[in-house]
Amino acid sequence: MAEIDPHWAWEPYKPSSESPWDLRKVGHLYRRAGFSAKWTELEAGVKAGPDETIDLLLKGGPGEESFESLRRSLAKSAILSNDDQQLRAGWLYWMLYSRHPLREKLTLFWHNHFATSNSKVQNVSFMLGQYELMQRYALGSFRDLLDQMSKDPAMMVWLDTRESKKGKPNENYAREVMELFSLGIGHYTEKDIREAARAFTGWDIDDGKAVFDPNQHDDTEKTVLGRKGKWQGEDIIRICLEQKSCPSFIAGKLFRFLISESIPAAPELLEPLADRFRKSDYDFGMLVETMLRSNLFFSPAAYRTRIKSPVEFVLGIVRPLEGRIGTPALATSLQSLGQDLFHPPSVKGWDGGPAWLNGQTLLLRQNLALALTSTEENRFSRGADPAALVEKLGKQSDQELVDFFLRLFYQDDVPSESRTRLLEYQKKAHGQAKPKHWTDKDAADQRVRTLCHLVLTLPEFQLA
Amino acid sequence: MNATRREFLKYSVATGGLVSWGMTVPTFLSRTALAAPFADKKGAKDTILVVVQLTGGNDGLNTVVPFADPEYAKLRPTLKLPKDQLKKVNDQIGLHPSLEGLAKLLQDQSLCIVQGVGYPNPDQSHFRSMDIWQAGSTAASASEGWLGRALKQLPNPPAFHVAGPNQASPLALAGAPVRVPSIAALEDFQLRTSSTSGGVEKKEQRALMEGAALPKASKSPGLLDFVQRTAVNTYASSQRLQEIGKNYQPKAPYPNVPLANHLKLAAQLIDADLGARIFYVSIDGFDTHANQLNSHSNLLRQLSDSMTAFYQDISARGHKDRLLMMTFSEFGRRPYENGSQGTDHGAAAPMFLVGSKIKAGAVGRHPSLTDHNFGNLKHSMDFRQVYAAILDKWLGVSSKEVLGQTFEHAAIWKS
Repeated sequence: MAEIDPHWAWEPYKPSSESPWDLRKVGHLYRRAGFSAKWTELEAGVKAGPDETIDLLLKGGPGEESFESLRRSLAKSAILSNDDQQLRAGWLYWMLYSRHPLREKLTLFWHNHFATSNSKVQNVSFMLGQYELMQRYALGSFRDLLDQMSKDPAMMVWLDTRESKKGKPNENYAREVMELFSLGIGHYTEKDIREAARAFTGWDIDDGKAVFDPNQHDDTEKTVLGRKGKWQGEDIIRICLEQKSCPSFIAGKLFRFLISESIPAAPELLEPLADRFRKSDYDFGMLVETMLRSNLFFSPAAYRTRIKSPVEFVLGIVRPLEGRIGTPALATSLQSLGQDLFHPPSVKGWDGGPAWLNGQTLLLRQNLALALTSTEENRFSRGADPAALVEKLGKQSDQELVDFFLRLFYQDDVPSESRTRLLEYQKKAHGQAKPKHWTDKDAADQRVRTLCHLVLTLPEFQLA
Repeated sequence: MNATRREFLKYSVATGGLVSWGMTVPTFLSRTALAAPFADKKGAKDTILVVVQLTGGNDGLNTVVPFADPEYAKLRPTLKLPKDQLKKVNDQIGLHPSLEGLAKLLQDQSLCIVQGVGYPNPDQSHFRSMDIWQAGSTAASASEGWLGRALKQLPNPPAFHVAGPNQASPLALAGAPVRVPSIAALEDFQLRTSSTSGGVEKKEQRALMEGAALPKASKSPGLLDFVQRTAVNTYASSQRLQEIGKNYQPKAPYPNVPLANHLKLAAQLIDADLGARIFYVSIDGFDTHANQLNSHSNLLRQLSDSMTAFYQDISARGHKDRLLMMTFSEFGRRPYENGSQGTDHGAAAPMFLVGSKIKAGAVGRHPSLTDHNFGNLKHSMDFRQVYAAILDKWLGVSSKEVLGQTFEHAAIWKS
């Protein structure tokens, strides 16, 4: 690959004859900054152009306020029942139907960053509290988010801050705040961790809130990352944010999430971004916006260079099909695909990228695509029926159907052999005998569903 | 030739047109016999290695307990295990009370305890240290694992990662000539198609999926190529695995825990005579920073009961002398407990080996409880000494090639 010019990379993208604004770019944008586009969004995006479409994604669509009250009532019910499954299903519901999908997508980014699992926390209210904290700052200040995360009850249980006492500090949080939350490995020493652990002593949870007990706090002098003082927890966060490695570490992680898993996040490429991020005092929304509007984001180098996470895979089927599906069943299927929301495998989160796909998970993905689009299984109560969508849009002939699904899911970008094979298959399918009690429409609908499943099994569908 | 092998040869021929041999077809499909180029080496023919990863950093000091050392009780005021409940190994050390099954294997001369294992300049990051163990190298970054590199030297080497779908394929297996498949359950390891219109159409649907999965020869390796290769391997394997062991009846009772379920599936794959030789499983939860007494005890019981059931099952099926099991964790834990009845990240710790060819009992020295390295136990055995002994003598591959240098073998074999 030719070397990428860092200056060009982060300049705003302007449509040109070599790189026109088209269906593919809208599809790409919605896969990255949301959970894939509906047909109407694809069409509207092409008309509106890049600036307006990105504005809409950054700010969210109208009606989010009324959605917010529904969100709260769902949350309350999950807390009352202390039911994990309601928590998972609730978030999926918000992702699927929110008018501000980018905010949910970035909350998912933060969930993977501050990866906290309810398998240890065992408290739905705490987990929801952490979700709300991340959602509030999804496009806000990283400084405030990191600072408040140290006093977040779910985090305090997850990494044992509430157990940490003067004289015998627990190192768990102090280590991960440097290794995983702010600096990255190699930018601190074991001694920094042990000293920082002393600064985080004295916290506990009372009545669902973080409380500080000066009697349990080690108020002696500590030396952390070269700075000497009678530091408390907040000081450690401040010192971490002063480090040069911090803005690059966070920008690099977001780069992998929004831009590419295969372009190496080279220091020269990230430097202008990290610089702006630091100068903005960690305005994460600005960082997101810069990336989404950039030349690099809309370049071939970034296109289809991520493996869809299970959430992206599943919602990338349901949302374009305009499905109304019970999210508890979706949450269960996500567990088997390896992305159990609110239960990341470790504090490092999900590895992502090619690690999402192995023999087992690929088969489960293909089979799930079938379960979602066919009438053979009842677990999704046929809520995402491709036959209903094409009927609404008046697509009928084999050619219309094949072209529609390829446009909806791939914006036409698949090898011509795939299109030919799908058309040939459709032709043969007409010749199949149908069960006696089926009407012609039953048979036609069934062909649509099978076709849609086959479209979803093309290898390109695994890429975002 | 038994029925299974015959079935699979038939299938191999049937799918021969799918892709060219050796390129992307799972190795056990293209494999025709248990070739053993290193058959002169001890155990190099047909041997099986099962690696059990203890994720999170197992507390070695409460796994193999130096009860005779008065320092132990001082370091562990609330976490010390009572001497009379330990399973004595010798007059110095004893196994955690939960390790009843492993203690019985010790009596049967089938358990080896390698003490004080680690590496120079130990890293206390879970992720970095796990990478070091899985890569078999302390180099700054690694893209291949020690087993992946070993698989390069084995002729058509079948291997399986048996794990829940939330467990990503480990670095240890990366670098193998053909991607090692991860399997959670046989019943989920199949490609379903729309079924309303009878057999012909199903076949066509499958052909369409397989056709789309074929990588373009001219394409440069990228993510699409990766997806296609994974798909081609998987579709072929899934077809094959549907034939085997639908009614597997274990010959020993397995506990109902995930690790045991994974090992039971491994036993089934071993018994199906696919020729698989490397299996990888893991059990998580060893990062015991707080209140560890019960949780650690519980984890060790799962480990011991699962491994014991698997060993009995495999033995009853006549594969006992082919089997070696190895446990490891990314690090041990700090010898002195913290203020939350837990332990922080540490360094040296023991490994377990189970098999009929190993030297039973404790090998190496237990780390000193007073001579620390920045508060951590010092290692006396490099983990690559254990790997080297297994690679050269058990798998029959050159440890020098896999590990990049020669390591003195740990004395783990029966003489």
